Amino acid sequence: MNEHKTVKINRLPSGVPGFDEILGGGLPEFSFNIIAGAPGCGKTTLAHQFLFANATPERPALYFTVLGEPALKMLRYQQQYTFFDATRLNNGVHFVNLSQVLVERGLQGVLEEISKQVEAADASIVVVDSFRTVLRTEQHDNREMAVQTFVQKLALFLTSSEATTFLIGEYSESELQDNPVFTVADGLFWLYQQVERNSVVRKLQIMKLRGQMSVPGMHTFRITDAGLQAFSRTLGLSGKKKRAPAKKRLSTGIVALDEMMGGGIPEGDSLLIAGPSGTGKSLMATQFIAAGIRVGEPGIVAVFEERPEEYAGRATTFGLDLQTPLDQGSLEVIYLRPLDLSVDEMMQEILDAVDRTGAKRLVIDSLAGFELALAPGFRIDFRESLYRMIFALTGLGITILSTLEMVESFTELLFSSYSISFLTDDIIRMRYVEIEGQLRKIMMIVKMRGAAHSKDIREYEITSDGVVVGERLTHYANLISGLPRRLKSSSTNETPGHSKTTT
Amino acid sequence: MNRPGGSAKTRDLAEWLLAFEAAPESPSNPNTPATIHVCEKLRQHLSTLVGAAGFRSLFLRALTLAKREAPISNLVQVKEDGSLEGFNGEATQTGAVLIANLLGLLVTFIGETLTLRLLHEVWQDLPDSDISSKGKELT
Repeated sequence: MNEHKTVKINRLPSGVPGFDEILGGGLPEFSFNIIAGAPGCGKTTLAHQFLFANATPERPALYFTVLGEPALKMLRYQQQYTFFDATRLNNGVHFVNLSQVLVERGLQGVLEEISKQVEAADASIVVVDSFRTVLRTEQHDNREMAVQTFVQKLALFLTSSEATTFLIGEYSESELQDNPVFTVADGLFWLYQQVERNSVVRKLQIMKLRGQMSVPGMHTFRITDAGLQAFSRTLGLSGKKKRAPAKKRLSTGIVALDEMMGGGIPEGDSLLIAGPSGTGKSLMATQFIAAGIRVGEPGIVAVFEERPEEYAGRATTFGLDLQTPLDQGSLEVIYLRPLDLSVDEMMQEILDAVDRTGAKRLVIDSLAGFELALAPGFRIDFRESLYRMIFALTGLGITILSTLEMVESFTELLFSSYSISFLTDDIIRMRYVEIEGQLRKIMMIVKMRGAAHSKDIREYEITSDGVVVGERLTHYANLISGLPRRLKSSSTNETPGHSKTTT
Repeated sequence: MNRPGGSAKTRDLAEWLLAFEAAPESPSNPNTPATIHVCEKLRQHLSTLVGAAGFRSLFLRALTLAKREAPISNLVQVKEDGSLEGFNGEATQTGAVLIANLLGLLVTFIGETLTLRLLHEVWQDLPDSDISSKGKELT
């Protein structure tokens, strides 16, 4: 019996960064696709990006415009995008207006004209914009059979002509049922533009794609001067091999803290530093990054509460030179504060920076700032999104240090107001304590997943050398309440013994 | 407003097109004004891109603007299919004004690069030029 050989379906690049991964490798060649969505959600731009990414003078693209946006205005606006190549106009990319044909000769005329033009040009890509207006001329007369026949004939003709097709239409989801267009289509891409409080969030969904596995669910995308950029829900990591990190220890940049952690942070761990304002969380994060730079481990710092130049400037006051690695490219400071950010976009920024720098260390300073930068709709899923992001990045062997501002309580010790402690491998808690009329600071390691660590509650100070960890406070009880009680057997007034730092 | 249709370069371009169509070696009918030939070639080429109605509305606007600059008879009209009607006794200069305004509108909407690209597809001998600035003379 002959072995069955499945047909190989070529995948064409979409021309939209991030979208090929969502498609499952690219757009199936010769597929008949619908791009649907409300006005202004990016349908035309998506089609143009595909067009310019694939059309050649030998196998050109035909872009049929029908009664929708005037072609002149479409060209006026689309040429503003960087992907638009004016030299390709009528040299691989051809625009043909069918408005008059539709008005004078109806669907049959449109079919004949498309057939004539596609055959004459030997087109490999065909776009009809807006397909909805083509069909609307017939639908109002209840001529459903005529519409169905037209769609069927068009799909048959274009597929037989070895053309990959996009029909663009302003559809609403309520029209999904019993619509012949959606039945015939091989691919159905739905674009959304949602207003959430004052933020606009763009999302896309592949509702149908024959012949290959696409990534299900809603994916965010952004439209910039380069056109659409999509961000996969799988955070761009579905095709990447997970690297099992060796359990090497990474220095925090503070010798005493490394000792408390049994030699440093296990490589590939996610460490959370939680504490109230002014306890030195950001400084510890900076020391962690600087320690990495010193041993040749590039780093990335994602800041949300101060600008990159301020970040490097502040490090200098503690004797840490971040400007040199910034200039040399071994350190990148990512500053994102658009207020309509998605976690997926943030992830993409980080991954791009990882590719550029080969980063081993990542600082997120802070989670509260990160959450605030997200569009309101994404804040609801913050915990879940953070989990996906941390899991994906640590899977690549990157060690993450996140800071989290906590509201100080003098009656209990909270680990995290986000209930995200389970997301992190290691937690360091910093807090204020009142001792003998002074507001002093203590730190403790609350958790290190799968590793032994010090149980000490240590006092520390912030000096010009950075965070300096002192000795264990042995003469007080109830330190973690913030209101310790001196033990009766103790009479000495302890002062922190400074340990050396690596700065 | 500094309209490209009013630029010297756009006017030079229009005059070059008219001169090309009026040249003895041109295959165009010598008994028809060169303006008609230029407009007709533009109509046929641009109608594919913007549709007959799209071209007609553009041409109507160009005619309105041209009438402010040159004496054009009210008999000169744009027909439903976008072709020019009644342009018989007008001076060549008048035709240049009309075409320059049409080209100027194209530049306004789709920019110089795309406009020149479209013109080059009809008139391959058209010299490279910079419409929106005072560049070298067309030869």
